Amino acid sequence: MNKHTILVAAALALGAGTAHAETFKWAAQTDPQTMDPHAVNSAPVLGFLNNVYEGLVRRGKDMSVEPALAESWEPLGGNGWRFNLRRGVTFHDGAAFTADDVLFSYERASSEAADTASWFAPVSDVTVVDDFTIDFLTIAPNPIFPDSIANFMIMDKGWAEANGVELPAKDAENFATLNANGTAAFRLAERQPGLTTVLEPFEGWWGEVEHNITRAEFTPVQNSATAVAALLSGEVDMINPVPVQDAGRVAERDGVGVITGIEARVIMFGFAHQAETIKYSDDAGEPNPFRDARVRKAVAHAINVDAILQTIMRGAAEPASQLVSPAMRGYTPALAERPAYDPDAARALLAEAGHPDGFSFGLKCPNDRYLNDESVCQAAVSMLAQIGLRAELDAMPVRTYWPELREDNFDMYLLGWSPGTFDAEHPIRFLAATPNEEKRLGSWNFGDFSNARVDELLPMIQSEIDDAARQTMLDEVAGILQDEQAYVPLYVQPLIWGVRDGIELTQRPDNFFILRWVTVNE
Amino acid sequence: MEAIARALDSDLAYRFRRSPVAMLAALVVVLLIGSSVFAPLITSQNPFDPGSLNLMNGFSEPMQPNQFTGETFVLGTDDQGRDVFATILYGMRISLFVGFSAVIFAMVLGVTLGLLSGYVGGRTDTIIMRIADIQLTFPAILVALLIFGVAKGITPPDRRDEVAIWVLIIAIGLSEWVQFARVVRGATLVEKSKEYVQAARLIGRSPVAIMVRHILPNTLSPVLVIATISLALAIIAEATLSFLGVGAPPTQPSLGTLIRIGQEFLFSGEWWILFFPAMTLLALALSVNLLGDWLRDALNPKLR
Repeated sequence: MNKHTILVAAALALGAGTAHAETFKWAAQTDPQTMDPHAVNSAPVLGFLNNVYEGLVRRGKDMSVEPALAESWEPLGGNGWRFNLRRGVTFHDGAAFTADDVLFSYERASSEAADTASWFAPVSDVTVVDDFTIDFLTIAPNPIFPDSIANFMIMDKGWAEANGVELPAKDAENFATLNANGTAAFRLAERQPGLTTVLEPFEGWWGEVEHNITRAEFTPVQNSATAVAALLSGEVDMINPVPVQDAGRVAERDGVGVITGIEARVIMFGFAHQAETIKYSDDAGEPNPFRDARVRKAVAHAINVDAILQTIMRGAAEPASQLVSPAMRGYTPALAERPAYDPDAARALLAEAGHPDGFSFGLKCPNDRYLNDESVCQAAVSMLAQIGLRAELDAMPVRTYWPELREDNFDMYLLGWSPGTFDAEHPIRFLAATPNEEKRLGSWNFGDFSNARVDELLPMIQSEIDDAARQTMLDEVAGILQDEQAYVPLYVQPLIWGVRDGIELTQRPDNFFILRWVTVNE
Repeated sequence: MEAIARALDSDLAYRFRRSPVAMLAALVVVLLIGSSVFAPLITSQNPFDPGSLNLMNGFSEPMQPNQFTGETFVLGTDDQGRDVFATILYGMRISLFVGFSAVIFAMVLGVTLGLLSGYVGGRTDTIIMRIADIQLTFPAILVALLIFGVAKGITPPDRRDEVAIWVLIIAIGLSEWVQFARVVRGATLVEKSKEYVQAARLIGRSPVAIMVRHILPNTLSPVLVIATISLALAIIAEATLSFLGVGAPPTQPSLGTLIRIGQEFLFSGEWWILFFPAMTLLALALSVNLLGDWLRDALNPKLR
């Protein structure tokens, strides 16, 4: 064999090798900031980790709850649920999955160090019956409990203890923020925060394999134009999101397509409800006007949501009046009207509240989390300026944004909320209930909104089995939140994914990208 | 009056009148600087005042009436409904302010260190020039980025926007001083051994007085050339830093920030948000550079 034929043979061998390898590459605006499923309760993190870790239950393509690590579950006689666990499941490192791992994960995810503690607010106790049976006891009857823990992911007890990560780290780094050991269809092969994250199929997965991926590479691309260029040039197979301004062009191009849907996420402004003083800008140190509902209402009247939707969002989003979108269970149709855009009414409200000349304050915004988040905030700044409210905008990446909000470093802020349970009770528990670490309530209620009636209604909603009675209570809460203007809901964000032709995938309304539903056709 | 007449009659003015390129470049520079200084008189909108903006004007095409408000903008509007023309004029103020301030800063620093280095000599000379050599091995933009990163780390987050402009000036200034220092040092070494300096020493003038009153005036013509060329570089450096998102904040956009904002709308066909600020930057930097080139040739006796 001469040199020439060796080269040809080598080339053939290489060619044959790559033909089978289906590498799937995708890019998103936000890097999942941690690989720890209990450290940050945000969609980019939980959505990504759903490919690596699994919960007792999971959501299917239509968001319905289906068995995952629990094969079945039934209500206990009293208050609570029994989960019968799947047998023969192993973690990526080979350790066997048992009820002890569930108990450990529950303790870990409901600890004060976790960001997910609010999920377990209704839980009073967890008991291991045997290796493959576990009971979750609830304070009151809780009909939607299995629905509410689809993102509660199970971590191996032995692995966590061996690596000293018995507790999650929210804003710091530890072994579990950079490494993962779940039971799901993909295992973490490589993790470089902010640069690239590589997943590979887990051979020992218990489920039936639908995908044909041999390697999946994720890259965060903060600049939206760069992401579109990467998709058009074939550098990546999928991007999330396609910037609204580019959706039309991408849809028209050959070789790529756009998948759209209405996301469950409501974008809203929140306020510092309890802070004594303004924290930022020229009026720092002055009494905090946002404690007055009239001032918050003035903000609601000052913001021209229709203008934002027509220009910045290019008509791709729907206005919102409540903390959940109309597609969610428990939405209140009677309160669908959002405060009208009316600068005069806003100025009158401000004058009534004792601020005829307005005031200045700090507005915090993320700049890589929601569609056009910084542009929307800038537009809000100019709209607020028209009623005399001088907002000083501080936009930053989510990596620093959530810690800032947790530290109460804001006067007003932008937040998007997608209820993980697809139910109106979810945002009440996280955003409207008075923050209470012991009861694990209000963990994302950064502004400390507090209303006695809402706190009273929440446990009643959670335990109500009759749908009509439950809806009446949800309606009452929605009414209180509107009267108090606890938040200023703006719009429901659209989902726009850009996909190369030949890729088959499923877009779930919670904006989770599930790799095991991807097929790569050449 | 007499001074003006003398200036008009000078060698430099004669050479200027003979160079159409220099005249054109000067005209562009004067026009751009003038229109940014008198921006409030030229445009009715102040893009830095959020209260004056109407979001519904967003994405208006140049010369086309907006589909919602019917208003027409010569160069169109950006995503926030800001008039691109007004934003360019106001943005150029930031670019020019940063450019001039950075060059003045670099000049003062570089000339001082160069004079010291050349006049004092010895260990002082070695230390200053080795620092300059080390800095020359890094690209200027990298030095500016480094300084910017350090400054960002030590300022509290809510003060960042206020200090951003000053940090830019210092960062660019610190990355440009070496040119000044080297040239002034070289000229000082030449001048130092001339008779008039020795005479000044003999009559007992202090070293500072000799440096400032006697040597400095004789080193200024190359400094003037470098300052002009540095101005163009500083404007571009500011635009680069702002384009990378580490410069002027979006609420007070400079030309570079405007280009960064416009770049997001390239694929969607709103070309004017990027195109006009970029063209303005090109015209400004090119004209200043051409002026600097001409000045170098005009002041170089060997080319006469």
